[in-house]
Amino acid sequence: MSGSAEGDEEDLTRKQRREQARAQRKELEEAEAASAVRRTRLMQLGIVVVVVVVVIVGILVATSSSSKKGIPTSQKETNQTVAEVSSLVGGIQQNGNVLGDPKAPVTLQYFGDLECPICKDFTLGALPSIIQQWVKTGKLKIEYRSLETATREPEVFKTQQVAALAAGKQSKLWNFVELFYHEQGEENTGYVTESYLQGLAQQVPGLNLTKWASERSDTALAQQVTGDAEAASQNGFTGTPSFLIGKTGGAMKKLEYSSLTDPSSFNSAIEQLLKA
Amino acid sequence: MSARALRITLIVLTVIGLGVASYLTYVHYSGIQPVCTAGGNCLKVQTSIYSKLAGVPVALIGLIGYVVILASLLAPENETTRFATVAFTVVGFGFSAYLTYRELFSIHAICEWCASSAAIMTVLMCLAAWRFLRGEAIPTDASRTPTPTEAEGSEPAAPLGAAHS
Repeated sequence: MSGSAEGDEEDLTRKQRREQARAQRKELEEAEAASAVRRTRLMQLGIVVVVVVVVIVGILVATSSSSKKGIPTSQKETNQTVAEVSSLVGGIQQNGNVLGDPKAPVTLQYFGDLECPICKDFTLGALPSIIQQWVKTGKLKIEYRSLETATREPEVFKTQQVAALAAGKQSKLWNFVELFYHEQGEENTGYVTESYLQGLAQQVPGLNLTKWASERSDTALAQQVTGDAEAASQNGFTGTPSFLIGKTGGAMKKLEYSSLTDPSSFNSAIEQLLKA
Repeated sequence: MSARALRITLIVLTVIGLGVASYLTYVHYSGIQPVCTAGGNCLKVQTSIYSKLAGVPVALIGLIGYVVILASLLAPENETTRFATVAFTVVGFGFSAYLTYRELFSIHAICEWCASSAAIMTVLMCLAAWRFLRGEAIPTDASRTPTPTEAEGSEPAAPLGAAHS
């Protein structure tokens, strides 16, 4: 009897041990399988991430190279740009940073950074039509003012804006500014060097380069850039282009625009001021 | 978080993102000024040269992206649809990262609508990746826990996702 009971106990223990071993094996197999699945999933996710990174880098390179096309690559292109700018602002009175008749009834102040691509969008988009319709007819004058946004180095910003103001001493600021925006390079590439500025100045028809070079060191021009920044700050401007508009000699108010390429917001603001 | 709660959270976030992208697409095509507390920043972003990619408005690309993500979430949940969701959100996140880079370093203006879409996409990607990697059990014949009788002498239950991988 007792021998049979011992045998039963032994069988039970053996069976339990077998079950325990099977359970452990099963757990181990499950853990291995789960780990394999996790590895597969991580690998799949990794492949997707790598593909996306490659595509995004491709888009970045493609969009950067397409926006670089501002700088003319040939003399022919440069000549075309100079002719385009001359036909736009040529024959219009200029005085310092002002384009247009000093007695024009309405004044528009354009706060810009010469390296700002959005300012380029405006300068090449809505601005030509505004100049044609309002400045050439003597109803509007535009003041170009400086506000640093896109240019990363404050010193570079001051140098380029002062270079434009120095051209203004010879009533050529708008030629310089227009040429700068037309030939604007890719941001953050450090393209604004001394030779770049010299190259632009050489393209401005009739600019006395020696006089321009000496007037660039005029501290009053640097102070003008600082003063523009203060005026922008007082008006709460943090981005460029930003605009103030008003009756000449009167109070200026912010101009809210709906498009940088369509001049209708500017047109209606000017029309309202002319009627008032 | 249960698989159901996670899926519902993902769907809700995608619908919000879809709303934002729809609004930006509408603004783009209607030419109206977007409602924006940051002055004209949204307009600068919306009218910049980076607002289109190969001639297609990025707002529309975003809208299509959210629709595709929503479709992958509404499809019956399995390993493949979970992978599809995470893959689409990774693409969306990459695209949002590119656009945010352009806003910060090229346009120098942040559009809050775009920023909110980027934030939604980031959360969507994290949640979708978590959902995919943890591989929550779906009660199907292949994956349900076997009864003690079934377990006896039977092969171990197929691990989740084994059929797919």
